[in-house]
Amino acid sequence: MSVSLDDIENSKCLFVFGYNGADSHPIVARRIVKARQKGAKIVVCDPRKIETARIADQFLQLHNGSNMALINAFIYTLIEEKLYNQEFVAKYTEGFDGLWDVVKDYKPEAVEDATGVPANQVREAMRTYATAESAVIMWGMGVTQYGQGTETVKALAALALLTGHLGREGAGVAPVRGQNNVQGACDMGVLPDLFPGYQSVTDPAIREKFAKAWNIDPDTMDPEPGVRLSLVPHLALEGKIKGYYIMGEDPMQTEADTSSVRKGLEALDLLVVQDIFMTKTAEMADVILPATSWGEHSGVYTCCDRGFQRFEKAVEPKYNVKRDWDIISLIATEMGYPMHYDNDQQIWDELRELCPIYYGVTYEKMGDLGHVQWPCPTLDHPGTPILYTDLKFTAAPSGKGQLLANQWRKPAELTSPDYPLVLSTVREVGHYSCRSMTGNCAALKALADEPGFVQVHPDDAHKLGIQDQALVWVESRRGKVITRANYNERVNRGAVYMTYQWWIGACNELTQENMDPVTNTPETKYCAVNISTIDDQRWAENHAAQIYSELKARLRNAVEEAKPATASIA
Amino acid sequence: MEKATVVCPYCGAGCKMKLVVDNGKIIRAEAANGYTNQGELCLKGYYGWDFLNDTKLLTPRLREPMLRREKGAPFETVSWDEAIKFVATRLADIKAKFGPRSIMTTGSSRGTGNETNYVMQKFARAVLGNNNVDCCARV
Amino acid sequence: MNRFILADANKCIGCRTCEVACAVAHRADGDVTALNDANFTPRIHVVKGGDISTAATCRQCEDAPCANVCPNHAIRREHGFVHVLQERCIGCKTCVVACPYGAMDVVTYQTTRNTGAAVNVLVNKAQANKCDLCHTRDQGPACIEVCPTNALRCVDRAELEKLSAEKRRRTALEAGALYI
Repeated sequence: MSVSLDDIENSKCLFVFGYNGADSHPIVARRIVKARQKGAKIVVCDPRKIETARIADQFLQLHNGSNMALINAFIYTLIEEKLYNQEFVAKYTEGFDGLWDVVKDYKPEAVEDATGVPANQVREAMRTYATAESAVIMWGMGVTQYGQGTETVKALAALALLTGHLGREGAGVAPVRGQNNVQGACDMGVLPDLFPGYQSVTDPAIREKFAKAWNIDPDTMDPEPGVRLSLVPHLALEGKIKGYYIMGEDPMQTEADTSSVRKGLEALDLLVVQDIFMTKTAEMADVILPATSWGEHSGVYTCCDRGFQRFEKAVEPKYNVKRDWDIISLIATEMGYPMHYDNDQQIWDELRELCPIYYGVTYEKMGDLGHVQWPCPTLDHPGTPILYTDLKFTAAPSGKGQLLANQWRKPAELTSPDYPLVLSTVREVGHYSCRSMTGNCAALKALADEPGFVQVHPDDAHKLGIQDQALVWVESRRGKVITRANYNERVNRGAVYMTYQWWIGACNELTQENMDPVTNTPETKYCAVNISTIDDQRWAENHAAQIYSELKARLRNAVEEAKPATASIA
Repeated sequence: MEKATVVCPYCGAGCKMKLVVDNGKIIRAEAANGYTNQGELCLKGYYGWDFLNDTKLLTPRLREPMLRREKGAPFETVSWDEAIKFVATRLADIKAKFGPRSIMTTGSSRGTGNETNYVMQKFARAVLGNNNVDCCARV
Repeated sequence: MNRFILADANKCIGCRTCEVACAVAHRADGDVTALNDANFTPRIHVVKGGDISTAATCRQCEDAPCANVCPNHAIRREHGFVHVLQERCIGCKTCVVACPYGAMDVVTYQTTRNTGAAVNVLVNKAQANKCDLCHTRDQGPACIEVCPTNALRCVDRAELEKLSAEKRRRTALEAGALYI
């Protein structure tokens, strides 16, 4: 995000689009609550009446899959009502003329049917946002997990550029990153097109710099961007990917269209899984490399506002496990590239030297409770809480903010008589990601457990004859799972919501892969499903409990029944 | 009793907390006054650490290196030495036979931290000779 | 006047951190890792409706219906709250029916009881479960301590008077404005 969490609390207007802080980041939601207490205007755009919508000045309950149409109507309004900051646009942006060509067909009155939002609400929202002293646009997966995610993000950025809500205290853009170190993984170049520090792999000078530091011939480096994770199953089926070394990820749970992922993993010659728990992905591995967990090692994470923070080791690892980077170094060495590190700081200092924007982030500066935000280019630099304060947008050679809009495209898989409901996948507040960690925590398990839930509006439920808390089947063109119906008056009619943490009520058995062409993010916010009731609820309860205990037993046995090879030979 | 300052391993809010350790075991988590969380935590921060005790409530901890000699065979526990040699040999074979781009690696957006992510992309770029490294930034 | 815990629905985000804190605070061992489906019996409950998220718990009524109806005189107003003497509770659930806030719950747990003839038997013991303001906890109510949005607070006479004064002032000014 371009701002800090402090700015969210101190902004005069929060424009929240497809982001449910209460469930995905309670401690960020807390800042939204505090902003509200301090008098900030809050506008929420979401198909569900999320917690933030309850305390909002305005709640625009748009149809699922209509994000781009609504944002184009916003841009239309800014231009038509001359709400945009003409001086800012002239000085710091380019592409204004092209915008109108795209949005001219999105008059708020003309797109009411597409978005479900009354035109006066669209106009009112833009008047609030444009005239606020400062404003932050917050967004989350409700924007990016669509086939048109990247274009939608650019259009949201256009709102900020048109109004000049950027580069100041309380003004900016805030895509709130989900996992504790997803920002860090990107910062460290765990992206197929970028070295650490957001340096391009296609730039020969950059390759040469890294090659020199790593003591290799730059010609052995690949000058082309690599493969994105979401494309691997298909490439494996095509025979283009043969070996897959997965570390600390569980695609069998978290990636869209599980059956496709399963087929892809089965087609591999070699699957190496390095993890802390026996996940459904680890179960399929040829080799399992057990690693130390959070709590058993130290290091540095990057949080959602670009802040580097250190964490310590709390307890000694009890098992025959190794630190992740130690395992990788041993494999590298065995493959003929000597690699060895004594500790985390040695690695940190190596990468600081290679990444100008992190160079000033020393261990000393981070300290015990410190938080240093990149860019931090020099040793005496305090870090950068707010990006773009110089109003230079270096992504374009001109240094100007790019105003981009695109025609709205409908989601890939629309509802039909056989699959009349939209399924959108969301998050559970008390569980996290693939749930291998939180599912093993007593209190969090007591709060919510398998087979998970499908949130459905009571009106839809009544029509379908579904009782609250009854077990039901949810089915898409790709799969069918059992889960518990959860009446929820806050969800819109015609759509149902499942949290992606459940291993039995696993929504990714149902989701589909229509991907954003730029990021290859699958459209997990939209696919078509149906729900059917189960007459014999006693059978259903037994069935759900049984498949859950079978799954747990299978995973437990995979670990506990593994014996040394010599024993079996003898 | 000791206290270790950590960052919560769950969402991206970056909450600082103290793990209170008694006799080598964590007994509770306390909120610390970090920049982002200002002395507050949510339920996952306060009550989300006991997976470290290998509770097996959902799935067991991986305790030993393991491998299958062939597809479908059960896991065997092996020494680290053997596991590392096995992986290195197989990866080298695949690279030799199908080229560097036939191998994919991932970093991790979770508890391992930035150092490991740096080392993994270095492994892909310097050892395998490709840019096939990615993370679950899309889930 | 008894103090009581009040939630501000404008701050509550429905995360249920308070429920877990309550359950942990009322375990003799204080051990979060010992919680499970059966013993997870918080005395504060998050309630979510179409337009509201808040936490509901005992109001520590001055003339408490639960205390008035208890046939075994197990519920008393003492120590500044409505106190259940658990050793007297027989689990009859009359208090649950009487409570207008749904803040009372009867739960059972297994315990060993000495029959007096040197024989210990496993019995089901009932317990009327309600907010006791964590009266044995030095730091005060656990739910208030953990709430990430500070939506919970303990209201005493002074606090209540302040709330009322503010409402009186607002009403008076609004009414006054109408007659200008």
